[in-house]
Formats: sequence, C-alpha cells, structure tokens
Amino acid sequence: MSAQPHGLIATFDSAAAIYHAAEQVRDAGYKRWDCITPCPIHGLDGAMGVRRSRVPSFSLAGGITGFCTGMTMIWWTGAVDYKLTVGGKPLFSPMFAFPISYELTILFTAFATIFGIFVLNRLPMHHHPVLKYDHIIRGLDDKFFVVIEAADPKFDGKATRALLEQAGGKNITELEA
Amino acid sequence: MSAPVATLPVSADAAASSSASTANKALIIGFVGLAVTALGLFVDDTHHVALSYLVGITYWTAIAIGMLMLVMIHHIVDAGWSTVIRRQFEHGLSAFKWLFILFLPLAATAFIGGGDTVWPWMNPAHVLHGHGTVETDILYQKKAAFLNVPMFVGATLLFFAIWTGLSARLRKASFAQDADGSVGWTGMNRQTAALGIPLGALSLSFAAIYWVKSLEYHWFSTMYGVWFFANCIRAALACGVFIMVWLTARGDYRGVLNKNHWHCIGTLGHAFVIFWAYVTFSQYFLIWNANVPEETFWYNLREVMHDGTPSQWKYVGLFILFGHFFIPFLYLLSFRRKSTAKGLFPISVWIVGVILVDLCYNILPALKDGNGDPLPFFSLNLLWVGASVVGVGGVCVWAYLRSLADSGAKLIPIRDPRIKESLTYHE
Repeated sequence: MSAQPHGLIATFDSAAAIYHAAEQVRDAGYKRWDCITPCPIHGLDGAMGVRRSRVPSFSLAGGITGFCTGMTMIWWTGAVDYKLTVGGKPLFSPMFAFPISYELTILFTAFATIFGIFVLNRLPMHHHPVLKYDHIIRGLDDKFFVVIEAADPKFDGKATRALLEQAGGKNITELEA
Repeated sequence: MSAPVATLPVSADAAASSSASTANKALIIGFVGLAVTALGLFVDDTHHVALSYLVGITYWTAIAIGMLMLVMIHHIVDAGWSTVIRRQFEHGLSAFKWLFILFLPLAATAFIGGGDTVWPWMNPAHVLHGHGTVETDILYQKKAAFLNVPMFVGATLLFFAIWTGLSARLRKASFAQDADGSVGWTGMNRQTAALGIPLGALSLSFAAIYWVKSLEYHWFSTMYGVWFFANCIRAALACGVFIMVWLTARGDYRGVLNKNHWHCIGTLGHAFVIFWAYVTFSQYFLIWNANVPEETFWYNLREVMHDGTPSQWKYVGLFILFGHFFIPFLYLLSFRRKSTAKGLFPISVWIVGVILVDLCYNILPALKDGNGDPLPFFSLNLLWVGASVVGVGGVCVWAYLRSLADSGAKLIPIRDPRIKESLTYHE
C-alpha cells in the first residue's frame, strides 16, 4: 500500500453546512476536490467555483462534423461516384442534401455529447477510492461529504484537515488510495 | 422571495404615472404613423398603401398572437419559470381590440370600388396577368366556397372574437388572483388554455391564409400557418426580452429576474429559430422538389423577373435565409449571449427587424407592374410599411402601457401558486 492517501473526507449534516464549507474550500484555492450530496443543491456549483462544462465544445464539433459529413456524402455519391439524374434535378444541390445533413448534424451532436461526457468525467470508471469509505452510503441518504484529493497541489495533511475542521466538517478521515 | 414583493407597493404609484405618460407618448407616435399612412393614400397608389398597411397590421397582430399562445402554453404545461414574465404578456394582450378596430379599414376595402384594393379575388372582374379574370379562373371557382367576401369578413370577425375573448378570460383570472389568491383562477386559466390552444392554432393559421396567403390565391402550402406561428412566437419572445430589459432598467424587475430567467427565454428563442427554419425550409424544399408550376410560381415571382433577370426579392429571400436563421442560430449557441440581457437585447432587435422583412417578402410581391413582375423591395412602399408599423405599433404599445398602469394588476402575479418557484428559479 502506498503511503500517499487518496485524500481527506469530511462529513456535514446539512445542505447549508456543505454550501458554506464549499465556499471556504474554494476560497482556500483547492482545485482537485468534490462534494458528495444525496440531492442536487441549488447554487452549489457556484459555491464550489465550478466553471461551465466543456461538453458543449464537443457537441459543436460533432454537429459541424455531422453537417459536413452529410453534405460530402450526398455530393460524393450523387455527383462523383455514381452520377444519376433524378427528377430533372442537378447532380448535387444543397437543397436535397439538407435533410440528411440536418439528421447527421443531430446524430453526431448527440454522439459527441455522450462521448464528451465520458471523456471529461473519465468514464467508464469501475472503482473510486471514495467507495472504500465505510459511511459513504449515507451520501445517498442524509449526509453530505467534502473530499479533497491528495493530488491537489495545495494539499497538506495537517493544513487541509484544519481547513475542513474550521469549515465545520466532522469525522475527518483519510481515504485509502 | 419576500423582498421584491414587499417593495412593490412603494414603487407602484411612481411606476404607474411614468407608464401612463409613456403611454400617451406612444399613442401620439402611433397617430402620427397612422396619419402618414393615410396621407399616402393621397400621394401614392391606394393598392400600395393598403398592402403596406396590411404588413403593419399583420406584424403587430403576430406579436399579440405570439403573446397569447405563450401565455396559454405557460398554463397548459404548468410552467414555473415564466410566471414572473407572464403578467407582461397579459398586458400585451390588451392590444387585440385595438388591432380589430385598426383592421376595419382593410376589411372595408372589400366593399369599396371593385373590392380588390388588397385581395384580388374579392373582385370577380379583376384581370389576371396573362389569362382572363378572377371570375373565369378555374382555380378561383374551385376555391370560391372558401374565398368569398362574407366568409372572409365572418372569419376575420371570428378570429378577433377568439383572440379578444381568450385574452379577456386569461387576464381576468390572472388579475383576480392578485386580489383573492384563489387557486381556482389558475384552474380556470388552465381550462382556457386547453380550449384556447387549438382555437388559437386554427385561427392564426386561417388568419395567415386569408390575410396573407390568399394574396396569391393560386398558391397553396400546408406549412403556411405553422410558418406564421413560428414568426408569432419569435416576435413575442423578442418583445418579452424588450419588456424585461426595460422593466429591469426602470427598476421594477430588480430582485425579480435572475440569470436563469434570461437563459430560459433565450433558449426558447433559440429553439424557435430552429423551428422557424425547419418549417420555412420544408415549405421551400417540398415545392422545389415537387416542381409543380402551381406552387413554384410563388417562389419564381420572388426570384426572377419575366425576362429571367434576378429581382430584388431574390436578395431579400437570401437575406431572410441568413438573417432569420444562420445569424440568430449561431449567435444564440453561446451560453453567455443567451443568458444575459446584454446578449439577448441586440439579437431580439435583429429578430423583430427580420420578421418585418419576412412579412414584406410574403405580402408586398403581390403588388405587380404591367409585366406581372412584383414591384421592387426598395421603393416608396417601404415608407408606408414603416409608417404603418409605427402607427399600429404605437397603438399596441399604448394599450400595453395603459394596461400596465391602470389595470390594477401587480407587476408580477404575486399570488400565483408558482410565484415562489419562479422568483427563486434555478436551472
């Protein structure tokens, strides 16, 4: 077993308590930490200083790829690979390529969004050190947890513990890596 | 939640008097616009001025219909976030009875002269370019049971009766709830919405068909009502943004609106950009693909002159394609722009401008020269369109402001069951 722990976990009893604790951890400058709550807490992302997700960039890239794929595919099949005049129409027109491109835009956007979520959340993740904590199941019920990872550049066994204590955290425990 | 409500009575009196004086200014501007339009009758062709006035009337009716549909959709889906904004749309609904009065001169044209001042099919002797008269036209004869003056007048009366009636019920229930807080009023509004949405959908579709599409009665498109609906909603959402910006700047909405309200109206606006594009593209695409002369002529008229050279309307059409879809679509993709007043205001101004161009594109090419070509877009007609839009708009804005100041209703529906949810709205 490595000497370096995964991090520290602290327990809080209410949404308000974890909200204010999150503000303190944020202001102390920590970057690699998280809150585990049994329900969504409005405004917690702000209190944690979480920036907006980067998933939309993936979606946009997927959408543009899908649109271009649709247009290129119709152009290549109809005007290059197998030239066939249908209904007196030109061999290629963005007009009739549009419905396909539109569909592919949506399809690729959806795929890219899912892909973006997986990549950014490092999924699939079959195990997480937090799951080794005995009381973590209470996080699905009535307890709130703050986890600060040892990988955070600001992490320091004593100082971090002191911060969590000062923020009102209870049962501050070291998590096995 | 209590803070904004508690400060309301203090600011209400000052706000009411300020609204009332702004209302009078709007009415004066409206009268000036209407006077300029009327003046046009003496210096320009009556047909040109009448069709330009039709643009103005249709434009503001579209905005009011959009507000009506948004209020009813709010009730039928039991929406939360829009409760604080709904009241402003309810004030906007007070414009319908004035729109009806302003529409009367257009309806009267059916009985003046040949009857074809606006709609050519109203005069059986109207000469069609290249072939006979309306009376002898088989395509008119087949549609005569629908396209005749009694039906037109009756239908128009019915449209305004539906819109005014639904508005009166929605306003009454909503305003009464401010006083007694009874949840029953919400139930009544939900019933009005359940009945009103199909009625509104049918009436706005038929209004678009009678007032606008029948200008070229040979043409048909099953998308037309939906196209009009998309413009109605887009215009109403843009006006909603204007009202939110104005009331925030004046201080009324301080502490009422948060970022999520802006984000919601921005997202809805974005969705309707796509909806409008979907419908408008489908209409064009189906006609382009089927290539049937009875349908394609409508677009040909808006693209080439009789000698095959491109007309101004071709570029207007391209402007609508890019200005009504691509620009707002790409602009509103950004979260930052669609979730702030600063981001939404300019694009809303742009959208209401392009909607006006879209209506011009649908209405004004009905004015033809001796060769059967539409009169160009850039012409004196734009002056009459502008005067009509200002004229009818002045009256509509006056009706809104008067309702805001005098109806006795609070700024927001303070006793709506969803008001707390709306005030603390979080995405």
